[in-house]
Amino acid sequence: MDFLQVVGLRRSIRIFRSWQQVEREKIQRILEVVRHTTCPGNIQPWRAVVVERDKLSRQDREALLAMDNYQAAHVQAPVWIYWFADVDGSGAETFRQRVHELVDIGALPTFYGWTHEAIDAAIVRGEAAPEGMAAVQTLIHNLPREMAAMVARQETVGACAVATLAAVNEGVGTCLHMASTAEKVPALRALLKVPEGWDPIWVQLVGYPAEEMEAGGQRPRLPFETTYFEGTYGRPFPRDPKVVEDLKKEGLIREPMPKPGRFEELKHLARAFGFPL
Amino acid sequence: MNDIKSYATVQKWIANVDRYYHLSEDEWQGRLRILEDFCRAVDQDPDAMIAEALNDRAEKIDYMRRLRSFAKEQSASRHAAHDLENVVRSFFIHNGARVVTRPYAEG
Repeated sequence: MDFLQVVGLRRSIRIFRSWQQVEREKIQRILEVVRHTTCPGNIQPWRAVVVERDKLSRQDREALLAMDNYQAAHVQAPVWIYWFADVDGSGAETFRQRVHELVDIGALPTFYGWTHEAIDAAIVRGEAAPEGMAAVQTLIHNLPREMAAMVARQETVGACAVATLAAVNEGVGTCLHMASTAEKVPALRALLKVPEGWDPIWVQLVGYPAEEMEAGGQRPRLPFETTYFEGTYGRPFPRDPKVVEDLKKEGLIREPMPKPGRFEELKHLARAFGFPL
Repeated sequence: MNDIKSYATVQKWIANVDRYYHLSEDEWQGRLRILEDFCRAVDQDPDAMIAEALNDRAEKIDYMRRLRSFAKEQSASRHAAHDLENVVRSFFIHNGARVVTRPYAEG
C-alpha cells in the first residue's frame, strides 16, 4: 500500500471480527517492519511477545484481559502483541557496542569523528567527543538506569507507532492498549515469562475490523498552525493549500469523523455483538 | 410509580442515547416497558434505583443480579434474555453507573 494511504487509513480499531484469525505471515511482516524502525545508537530496545488469544488457557486469557480491564476490543482481537522496552539492554555498554558496529559498517562516518577510540573515550571515560560527532559523553557516559529506561521506553513507543502502520499496510485492524495496570506488571512479566528488565509499553491488538476500515473517518487533529512553527514558537509554519489538496488526492487527508452513517454503523455493531445501546 | 418518562434518569437516558442513535418511537416504547417492568419487579422507581446504584457498589451488583433472573424469567431464549438485560444495562450506563457489558456468549 502507498505510504500516504497507510498513514491516512490508520485508525485505532475498537471493534474486531473476533472469529476471524489473522494469518501468521501478516504478523511476521509487522514484526519485520518494526525491526527497521529508527532509534538512537541503533540500540533497538523493543521486544515483543506475540500471543494468539485462542491458544491461551482460559486462566491465562482471563488474567491478561483483567490486566487491561477487559476492554472489549482486547476481548475481541485474536492476536495480542505485547511490546516491551528492554531496559537492561539499553545501557551504556549496548550503546558502545552498537555504535562501534555503525562505524564498522560505514553508517557513522569517521570523517565526522566517529572512531572506536573517540566513542570509547566519550562513553567509557566521559571525555569530550570531538566536534562533528554527537556529544555522547553527556548522554551516555555513566548513563543512569532510569535514563536508560526512559530511552528504551520512548524508542519502543516509536516502534509501536510503526507497528500500527505496518498492520494497516497488511490490511488488518489494530489498536494500542495499555498492557497492564502498574500493580499487575510483575504478574504480566511472570505470565509471559519475560525478564525483569523488560518494561511493558503497549499491547498491540491485531485483527480484522468488524467496523469499516475507516472506522468512521479521520480523528480530529489539532490545527496545523498551532502545532507547527517556523524559526521560533509563535510564528506558524505556513500551510500551503495546494499541498493540502494534493495530500487529499493522495489519500493522506480523508473525510473527518463522524462520516455519514457512523452512528448507524455503531448501532448495527452493538446489536450484532450484543452490547447495550 | 409515576409515568416512566417523568423520571429525570429516564429523560437523561433517552436524551443520551438519542443524541447518537436516534431510536424509533416503537423502539423506545419497548425499552421503556422493559425498564418499567424491571422497576416493578424490584419495587423501585428509576431515580431511586440509580441513586442507590451510584451510592453503593453492592446495591448496583445486586440490581444486576436481579436483572439476570428477571431477564431469564421474561425471555424465551438466552439471546433474548441478553437483549433484555442490555436495555436495563444501557439505562444504568447512561446514568453513570458502570456495569459489566459482555457480547453474546459464543457457542
